[in-house]
Amino acid sequence: MINTIAYGLTIGGILYIISIGLSLTFGTMRIVNFAHGLIYAIGAYFLVTLLPLARDNFILGALLAVLAVVPISYIIERFVVRKLYGVSIDYAIIATYAVVLIGVDVIKWIWGASPIPLSDPVGVDVAFLGITLPIYRLIIIALAVVIFIALAIFFKKTMVGKIVVASLEDKDAVRSLGINVDKYFAYIFIIGSCLAALGGVLYAPITSVHPYMGSMVLLISFAVVLVGGLGNIKGTFVAAFALGMVMSVTGRVWGPAAETMVFVVMGIVLIFKPIEV
Amino acid sequence: MSLFKTGPGRSIFDIAVIAAGFLVLLPILGINRTTDFMIFCVFVLGFNLLYGFMGRLSFGHMLYLGTGAYAITLFSEHVSQNPLLAVLAGILAGALIGVIIGPIIVRTTGACFALINLAFDQVGYFLVLVAFSKYTGGEDGMSAYFSKMGFLDFGQKPVMFGFALICLLLTYYLLKKFTSSPYGVLIKSIKENETRVKFLGYNTFTYKWITFIISTSIAAFAGALSILNYGYVTPSFIDPSRAVEVIFAALIGGSGSLYGAIIGGVLYMSISNYLASYISRWEMFLGIALLICVFRFRSGIWGFVTDKLKLRAAA
Repeated sequence: MINTIAYGLTIGGILYIISIGLSLTFGTMRIVNFAHGLIYAIGAYFLVTLLPLARDNFILGALLAVLAVVPISYIIERFVVRKLYGVSIDYAIIATYAVVLIGVDVIKWIWGASPIPLSDPVGVDVAFLGITLPIYRLIIIALAVVIFIALAIFFKKTMVGKIVVASLEDKDAVRSLGINVDKYFAYIFIIGSCLAALGGVLYAPITSVHPYMGSMVLLISFAVVLVGGLGNIKGTFVAAFALGMVMSVTGRVWGPAAETMVFVVMGIVLIFKPIEV
Repeated sequence: MSLFKTGPGRSIFDIAVIAAGFLVLLPILGINRTTDFMIFCVFVLGFNLLYGFMGRLSFGHMLYLGTGAYAITLFSEHVSQNPLLAVLAGILAGALIGVIIGPIIVRTTGACFALINLAFDQVGYFLVLVAFSKYTGGEDGMSAYFSKMGFLDFGQKPVMFGFALICLLLTYYLLKKFTSSPYGVLIKSIKENETRVKFLGYNTFTYKWITFIISTSIAAFAGALSILNYGYVTPSFIDPSRAVEVIFAALIGGSGSLYGAIIGGVLYMSISNYLASYISRWEMFLGIALLICVFRFRSGIWGFVTDKLKLRAAA
């Protein structure tokens, strides 16, 4: 029972870290970014490559992997996403999907198509209320909460954050104040991509690393974003943990249904709360 | 400029052009591939009705193709092996799923529409692959057997070719009638500005729902034809990750025109059939081609050709 809850919280934490970037790009730029799942996978692959270079120091390897994603996400933002502002949302979906096709092929080219396993970097279990849990999972949950608080401060206290929050409300009003909104969108895109890569890095030791690892996670993140509300920072946090719990409880009852149940919940939410984009 | 001629003779002319086109392709591609191409074109036509004419991008249209594919297989297994009845069952299954999930899906627009289709496709894939694997054969799929009806033996390739051609032409004819009727004008207006259509006093929900049902039925029709052709169904017919194929075909040919859908279907199938054997990184090629389509060639090949011809006609 407690194990199920802990597992749900772990998934929820990772889902939050991945979805928040998606939610922000969705809310500010009105762009459905399929490339987000690609960045997630690339983050995990960078970890695989950089971990031996960092002498198997997981924290250093993870940090390097997340930073290495910055130029890639900048290229995607500069040459694909920026050209899609204000265009029909369908083209954004197709163009970012095209980026995914290219990226996945590049991954297969460089790292090969077979899955790469990674071991738990901490490897220590902790006994807690009569059950044992890997400490690594507790770290993930803590990290998700830390990121949530850090983002909350970022959006309240810093200028960039305030501009982004204002743009979520009314982009044109912010632009009419003479602020170059697109520049801030680029920042948000890169921050969101780094968080996606962090999600990939954190999740890699729990599953294995393979070229298509991003697609399922991306779909679930979309569900999180739609359930939590587009560009709704708090809503995404709540929805991520709620859907994480849905996954772990369903997985406990009937393993293969875990991911499908998320979409059932999403469908039910959308019936009662349709979203106009 | 007979290509731009309108009037009663127009659809007959179009049908003759399409039939002639595929008969020319027949010796080049061989009978198996041409049949395959035509069935895919039926699918693209169904998708294009939703995307090109009503402006709703579905990212999970494989669900409806797969519904038709599994419906015809299960029908032949449990009810009757009559091929025509089985195809009809496939179409009805597609219509039924449109009737059931349509009211949920058509209320959304844009990204939400795309993603909710994808989500339903994912659920369908799961149901076929895991939940009902006892009936569907799970990952291995299952065979479908059809009885002969006089000269209609679909095991014979020329018969299948002729039947697929007739089905494609029939689909084209019906869609042509549909899209050039006042109803078709209305769904094109919904694409342009739904709020204004509502102001004019139309209940857009019903129109969108009916269009959605037609689109799912045609997709299921294509799925049923594929099974009639292959005699075997696998979960790849409902796999959400293949949704991009039909989107690419509609986009490259030119969305919003029936000719464009057929050209796109043929072109996509040629790329995936032939290019894959020459270039091992063909997914990357597909991605780059998609990007070029989105940034440079939005009206697709058919749109490009018609623009050029119109310019020349004007000059």
